[in-house]
Amino acid sequence: MKKVAVVIKDADQQYEGLRTSLGLLLEDTKVQMFVLHHEIANMDEAYSDNMEFLDEMEGERFSNNSANVEKYGFQYITLADIGAKIREADLIIPF
Amino acid sequence: MADTLGILVNTDRYLDYVVKLTQAAHSKGKTVQIFFTGKGVLLTQKPDFKKLVGKAKLAICDVSFRSNGLHGREDEVPGVGFKDFATQARNAEMVANVDRYVVF
Amino acid sequence: MKVLNILRSEPDETVEKLSEAVSKGNQSTVTILYGENVDWEGLVDDIFLHDKVICWW
Repeated sequence: MKKVAVVIKDADQQYEGLRTSLGLLLEDTKVQMFVLHHEIANMDEAYSDNMEFLDEMEGERFSNNSANVEKYGFQYITLADIGAKIREADLIIPF
Repeated sequence: MADTLGILVNTDRYLDYVVKLTQAAHSKGKTVQIFFTGKGVLLTQKPDFKKLVGKAKLAICDVSFRSNGLHGREDEVPGVGFKDFATQARNAEMVANVDRYVVF
Repeated sequence: MKVLNILRSEPDETVEKLSEAVSKGNQSTVTILYGENVDWEGLVDDIFLHDKVICWW
């Protein structure tokens, strides 16, 4: 099973990165999704539903933005630790 | 079997790179697959998109195509048949099957 | 492991930190696409000669 890191830096790509993460999980890929710097810009029903689905599919989601941790249940991670985690991934997909 | 290169296109900023890399890979006998998603689907409307036809297997995220206001223009996209307007599963298959995977 | 870092645009601080972390302890190469005179056929060779390829923003 391939391990993929989806790393989302552009605030306007947050939903696309989540969709791609879910698509990979559905095809038996291990996925870690990292939302860098920005708070989730549009926590609408679509994002929220897909985020719950990602959790159910045992995808992992991390952020170095504390608001995402406190409001939306992301695991907190520093940028240095993101570097260490994505180093272990087979593929890194930037958004 | 030839080496296979997968390309995920998730922005509309780098069509020039996608075309040049695809042309180079094709000329070196590589098999190329490209999946356009998110704002990347907007590149289907650019004149240079047709330079990819015949050099790569092309697929488009149908949800992105619709959400970017392009529904109804599917048959205007060169080199992409109806069945190649696909879900994110197509990208996941590409991840699973290609030898190398790049993102533009 | 041989790591190929492809820079699609000029790297910011985030890219510098992450690419450094991924490359640390590995044999790493950097290819810049935003400059002039990119050797695209050479890049194809490099992509298949490296174990891991990362296209940074």
